[in-house]
Amino acid sequence: MAKKNRNVGIIGIGQTEYSSHKEHQNQAEMVNEAVRYALEDANITLDDIDCVVHGNMELFEMVFQPDMWHSLGSGAYGKDQFRITTGGTTGASLVCAADNLVASGMYDVVMAIGMEKLQEGHTTGGITNMADPLWFRHLQTGALTATTATMMMEEFGEERAKKAAMKYRILMDKHACLNPRAHRRFGLEYDQADDLMNTSPQLVGELRLIHMCSQSDGACVMILASEKKAKKMCKTPVWIRDHITVHREETFNNFGIEMPEMTHHYAARKLFERNGIKDPVEYFDVFEMYDPSAWWGLDWAREFLLLKDDEHIKLLEDGEFDLDGKLPINPSGGVTASNPIGATAMLRPAEAAMQLRGDAGPQQIKKKVKHALASGFGGTLWSVLMMLEKDLDWQEVENG
Amino acid sequence: MKRVAVCAVAQYKCDSNIWQKRFQGMLLDVLEDIQKQTGMHFSEEGGVRSIVSASDDVFDARTISDNGMTDVLGAHYREEEKMAQESLNALGYAMSIILSGHEDVVYVAGHCKESQGESRNVCTNLSYDPFYGRAMGLDYTNVAALQARAYMEKSGLTEEQMAKVVVRARQWAEKNPYANATEQVELGDVMYSPMLCDPIRTMHAYPVSDGAVVMLLASEERAHEFTDNPVWLTGFGSCMDSYFLGDRDLASNFALKNAAERAYKMAGVKDAKKEIDLVEVMDCYAYQQPMWLEGLGLCGDGEGAKFIDEEGPAKYNVNLSGGMLAGNPIMTSGLYRMAEAVLQLKGDAGERQAADVNRAIAQSTTGGAGQFHTVVVLEK
Amino acid sequence: MAEYFGTAVEDIFNTMEERFLSEGTLDVDVTIGYNISGEGGGNWKVTIKEGTLKVEDVDGEVTDCTAILNANAETFVGVTLGKLDAGEAFSSGNIKVDGDLTVLVAVLPKAFKPFKPVIKASAIVESVEERFRPEKAEGVDIKIGYDLSGDGGGQWTVVVKDQTCTLKEVLDDDCTVIMRMEAQVFVDLNQGKLDGGTAFSSGQVKVDGDIGAAGQSASLFEKYVAEGAAEEEGEELISLKCVPSINQRYATGPTMGKWFDGLKEKKFFASKCPQCGRTLVPPREICAQCRVRCNEFVEIGPDATVTLIDVVYYASPDPLTGKIRETPYTALFMVLDGVSRDESFAHDLNPKDIDRIKPGMKVRPVWAEKRTGSYKDLLYFEIAD
Repeated sequence: MAKKNRNVGIIGIGQTEYSSHKEHQNQAEMVNEAVRYALEDANITLDDIDCVVHGNMELFEMVFQPDMWHSLGSGAYGKDQFRITTGGTTGASLVCAADNLVASGMYDVVMAIGMEKLQEGHTTGGITNMADPLWFRHLQTGALTATTATMMMEEFGEERAKKAAMKYRILMDKHACLNPRAHRRFGLEYDQADDLMNTSPQLVGELRLIHMCSQSDGACVMILASEKKAKKMCKTPVWIRDHITVHREETFNNFGIEMPEMTHHYAARKLFERNGIKDPVEYFDVFEMYDPSAWWGLDWAREFLLLKDDEHIKLLEDGEFDLDGKLPINPSGGVTASNPIGATAMLRPAEAAMQLRGDAGPQQIKKKVKHALASGFGGTLWSVLMMLEKDLDWQEVENG
Repeated sequence: MKRVAVCAVAQYKCDSNIWQKRFQGMLLDVLEDIQKQTGMHFSEEGGVRSIVSASDDVFDARTISDNGMTDVLGAHYREEEKMAQESLNALGYAMSIILSGHEDVVYVAGHCKESQGESRNVCTNLSYDPFYGRAMGLDYTNVAALQARAYMEKSGLTEEQMAKVVVRARQWAEKNPYANATEQVELGDVMYSPMLCDPIRTMHAYPVSDGAVVMLLASEERAHEFTDNPVWLTGFGSCMDSYFLGDRDLASNFALKNAAERAYKMAGVKDAKKEIDLVEVMDCYAYQQPMWLEGLGLCGDGEGAKFIDEEGPAKYNVNLSGGMLAGNPIMTSGLYRMAEAVLQLKGDAGERQAADVNRAIAQSTTGGAGQFHTVVVLEK
Repeated sequence: MAEYFGTAVEDIFNTMEERFLSEGTLDVDVTIGYNISGEGGGNWKVTIKEGTLKVEDVDGEVTDCTAILNANAETFVGVTLGKLDAGEAFSSGNIKVDGDLTVLVAVLPKAFKPFKPVIKASAIVESVEERFRPEKAEGVDIKIGYDLSGDGGGQWTVVVKDQTCTLKEVLDDDCTVIMRMEAQVFVDLNQGKLDGGTAFSSGQVKVDGDIGAAGQSASLFEKYVAEGAAEEEGEELISLKCVPSINQRYATGPTMGKWFDGLKEKKFFASKCPQCGRTLVPPREICAQCRVRCNEFVEIGPDATVTLIDVVYYASPDPLTGKIRETPYTALFMVLDGVSRDESFAHDLNPKDIDRIKPGMKVRPVWAEKRTGSYKDLLYFEIAD
């Protein structure tokens, strides 16, 4: 990676509440709500925005080029605009794009908008439509699979794996209960774990309804500005240090006898290497992870944090992923709580940035938060990983 | 600002019915062409690590359709972003990836197979809000017809002038090995072709087209690794107009004028009339060529019709590729426009080669009646 | 009787007969058990068979049904009325289902009209103070008595004096006017289902005392609106339902074409990477890892070794047909004989083998009798004994 042309700061964040019921708004109105919150948060007006980056999945709501319609609420009128969609990773791709567009010098202030109104379409059917129409479509059911659960039970024993996945799930719910914008807030308690483990309806194998992410409506907006503008416009800009995107081939053919290195692991390895991060658990103060299910969330913690064997399970069991632990995961409640797909991966850096600013609200981590990690997931195990910093004081790595 | 190099372009020959190939297969052919031209590779050191694709889920009839492209794009364990918009915007984004320092080699790939779906109008109808516009039956063709009427009113554009645009497009298309509609026509053929959507006649509209384009971009420092004859990307701009047709002056070129102004400013172009040598516009319908040329500032406001009679298109080397009228897929037209401009600036345009071309522009549009426009400035 | 959101659990079961849609259940044969815990709960067994319905109030926990729903009374009523989110109740474990979840998702919406809460006469009378319009009661000094007989009936007196309104749960002797009727008639009148004049003329309503005061009383109160109905009528929130579709003509291209051609002959073909030797199943034009074209085809399988097993319980509608698959079904990840070690292939398992299948087992394909070169040619895999 060459040296970044100029630094980029996050100066505004706006989110709607996430819920399964937004009949009171159409798509453009929902976008507008988040846009207004972001402008208020940044204390600027639409006049200050040079360019808009928009993203959601056309076939989830069945609208062709929805940015045209959404322009009624997005504020794109009279402005430059891009539209990027990469499945689940869309929200993260939008933030990466906004970062690149500002860093390039082409635009000073860019507004990224991720949205989805999943209740207006059929989500599982929409995801199934990802598959090749001639061969795989008849075999797939959305993003549902228990392969990770099966493999974890094999590796750590059925009892420990099931308990750990449920502990992770309940931890996420505890965080969600603090977050006023989270969609699903069940109020689960740890003493329910054994009951839920055995009685929550099974979707696929040991992937149960309670483990799986929600289908939500909502929009998330982030405003990014050049270092000069960010410092002028905002008291507490959050800096985007680096990001990496790793896609994977079309098919889920990776369950053979030998398993390849996982994209998440590859992304983390490359990103940490070029930024000189030796021990990510030590370095980062918060990790907002795109965790589509409790099983994946727990398993992927090992990949993203470059952990070995059962280190991730031990960290969970020891409470180190709790809000007062060594590396809190998903103070927002994560994706099992809120999942408006085109925005979901943006909720991760949005929450991470609020944690760095110290104004995340009831779910604010108490100890000092200086370094944050945020991930996005989509496609056939696509990964986006992003590093955010409170201060502009990191060391560039030679030839990093 | 630093410069970004376009090292090479490769195009798939457009056709109205490439039934025998998946869009993946089409793209792979052009990607291999680029690799042959430039020696581009995908190794982690020095290879391409970043790809910007341009396609559309509705036309591909596939959710997150770039997932179906990963293998042929070479995007396995690499960065790939999908521009779900007209393809020229992918170029703008790729440009920013290089200027930001994030990556120094990026390639852009666009594809679209209009023939796969039963009707492209049904696809574009889905662009309108489900409550009103969609129920009204709006699509990009009938909305363009409203704009055509408004523009004819404003500029005095005649049937004969529109026919002239089509006849000239076919003449140039015949010389372009990548064009779709190359059959030669006369004024009368166009003027008396069946009415498609009044005042747009069948021959005023671009034919259903399938195609794919790839181009390789690199930072100024690394361009020489791939070509000794780069073309420089010096300006980019885009702009969004209002969504509801009733909120717009359909003949005003609001979005295009803004997009052009931004691209010119970035490229340091002060007087487009004097500084532009070649133009590629996305003229989906015949009336759009004079109207877009007006929006690009090559003639005065409301003077596009007169510009046709004054041989303005010939003077500015407009659409020597045959243009959109000769048939490119709607989501990929911008890259076809770019491809022609790049070949002309490189001096590789064969029979179509224009003399003394130093600066060119490529334009594309998305949305009904040009709701959104994109303009790129290229230099030798 | 305990009520939740103004509705008792038994109201829901008692109205099943009238809400039943027999034409929607001609091909259905299921029994659904309900174990509703907490105050007002109970146990019910609902049998739907070929267009007929039987609802039984049973003693003790229901067992032995196609599906059994377990919930507390508040959750059950809330979800039925749409006051609580069904998905969330499932996810959080407040509703638990034993047996085939599909039945509830697929059968119930076809079998019953939605439950509408029963409006009680008492609820209407008890809301008079809230509905009172003091501005219309200047100089009015009357006592209106209600004597409602039958199920849900009772006696009340509404006192209007000095522009205030008070409700008493007795029938005073000195009422200006007393209206006597069946409680259900009273409800229908207030719901606008029955016309006042008609009810009076036909003798359904009897008025003792000052008939003029009875007429006047109507203007003193706002119209009664059932809980929840107010918001729906107040705001114009329209939800537009449509299924946009565009007919497609997908190309196989030569590579997938080879695969489909092979299926006709009960053969599997993989494309082979000239660089790493990896076999791609189904064949693809390029090896994603090496980024080189794979022009060579090799025949593989047809038997395979299972690596991972997914048992699917969630019934997802087919995006193309809208039909819901039968569950549970089993998806297999397997390695076909002769392929490279990192390449898995996914397909379904013959439902008869679902209890026996284990990783490491050998399986073989089962083919359709008539094969046309499409995904339908390969039915599923089964254990190769």
